[in-house]
Amino acid sequence: MSELIKLSLTDQILGLTDKSFSSKEITEAYLNEIKKKKSLNCYISVFEEESKENALIADENIIKNKARPLEGIPIAHKDIFCIKDKKTTCGSKMLSNFISPYSSEVFSKLDNAGAITLGKTNMDEFAMGSSNETSFYGNVLNPINEKLSPGGSSGGSAAAVRANLCSFATATDTGGSIRQPASFCGVTGIKPTYGRVSRWGMIAFASSLDQAGIIAKNAKDAAIALKYMSGFDQKDSTSLNEEVKDFQKEVDAKQDHVIGIPKELIENIKNDQVRDSFNNSISILEKDGAKIEEINLPHIEYSLPAYYVIAPAECSANLARYDGIRFGHRSDSVSSLEDLYVNSRTEGFGREVKNRIFIGTFCLSAGYYDAFYNKALKIRNLIKNDFDEAFKKVSSIAMPTCSNSSFELGSISDPVEMYEQDIYTIPANLAGLPAISIPSGIANEMPIGLQLIGNYLDEGRILNLANKFQKLTDFHEFK
Amino acid sequence: MKITEQDLKNISLLSKIRIDEETSDSLTKDLESILTMVNKMDELDTSKVNPLTHPIENTQTLREDIEKKDIEREKLQKLSKEKDSGFYLTPKVIE
Repeated sequence: MSELIKLSLTDQILGLTDKSFSSKEITEAYLNEIKKKKSLNCYISVFEEESKENALIADENIIKNKARPLEGIPIAHKDIFCIKDKKTTCGSKMLSNFISPYSSEVFSKLDNAGAITLGKTNMDEFAMGSSNETSFYGNVLNPINEKLSPGGSSGGSAAAVRANLCSFATATDTGGSIRQPASFCGVTGIKPTYGRVSRWGMIAFASSLDQAGIIAKNAKDAAIALKYMSGFDQKDSTSLNEEVKDFQKEVDAKQDHVIGIPKELIENIKNDQVRDSFNNSISILEKDGAKIEEINLPHIEYSLPAYYVIAPAECSANLARYDGIRFGHRSDSVSSLEDLYVNSRTEGFGREVKNRIFIGTFCLSAGYYDAFYNKALKIRNLIKNDFDEAFKKVSSIAMPTCSNSSFELGSISDPVEMYEQDIYTIPANLAGLPAISIPSGIANEMPIGLQLIGNYLDEGRILNLANKFQKLTDFHEFK
Repeated sequence: MKITEQDLKNISLLSKIRIDEETSDSLTKDLESILTMVNKMDELDTSKVNPLTHPIENTQTLREDIEKKDIEREKLQKLSKEKDSGFYLTPKVIE
């Protein structure tokens, strides 16, 4: 039975459809594995009984030929997505008692497609972190080497996919939170175009940057999952009213690729293994027929500073809603309204979240707004223009996902050093572009990722290119 | 960039989060280190650039203004520790 959990989503759908095995078997196999690997701390909650009941319903639907596209496939949701009548903590003490009165669109779409929700995965508090160490529920361990970080903030989702604790997992990406953990855990992670997937019911961190996506075993699986998760949603005013192409078809279609390489950025990579592996990946794709073009992204080095103004600014505004009154943690030691606000927030938020609220508050305060926030927004425009220019001559852009492989848990205490984890992933968030990370090599005996950035709404193309790469290599196979 | 004691007081007041004396030194260090990194932005002359607040320049889609009854007050208020007769309770604000 344990072999079932190792199958790709594509093979699991096939096996369920031709009745080689049942959803009950595969669901129970995952639940057993989750128990066996509890020490990895991938899940904040597991819905054991409900998953088993839903598997039986799925099996009935399959027998009656009423199977929906993801019927009976066991998946996990990052604990940032609200599920009706279920605890949704966002990795924070602030929401440790929050039972959501409604469901996120991401959950509803995948649920309606027939997927079975095994549980909710661990994450950095409010998705703020790059190592999973800021979670109130303890950090996740990297399944490949338990002394190392799984990355963050979607570390629980990435580790759960890598450890075969779900078929695929949902995740979110504000500055790299899907792609960096995917890189660290040797799995495939895609952040679609901003607005492609509804943010309804996804707890907000930085609204103009947050986007939901998928962490899966490979690009084909990610394409299938993304297809059923995407689409316009009236309930999200920034949701894009655009046709969702059939990513499942596109991933395998015959497509020509022109890959842009930001030469200066690649030359400046400090880690030799990361640079060599990147160059090797590009030559594999070039030999396969892709055209390679040098491009220039002159303002990309300003992404990190601009992001660390914009994201905290939006975070400080979004997290103002946690006032201790309507929902979330409410302090017991209160004698005035001011006490209620201050004590609830001081007790409910962890150090990193507070740091970001403080930075955002400072940058938005009188006298600093123009020098910080407005300046960062102008730089955001320059970065977007750099990409627009580049996409006039290339169909995708390649760069490493991270400047290093995973690091030891507890080894980074300087916040800026931690923020630098996202140096290559942030630009796609600032511009709102789709980007995917796929396993492409090894550095210090741990996986590293190749990042492919696509033009707006062109997820199909980067999935196609990623699939091409995975047909030519075996880095994505869990060995 | 230097963060003064007064800056810390202002940030704490505006964000409604207390800054303890024990952590204020390490917090100041963190914030200064972040703001120093952020100051790299000053290298660029952006006087002729427009700010970009949103990555996708599409018009917001408005839905039809149709009355819906999907907000269940009681259910939402269940999430609050202190409520009475449909009201949320806070400590007294007027003497």
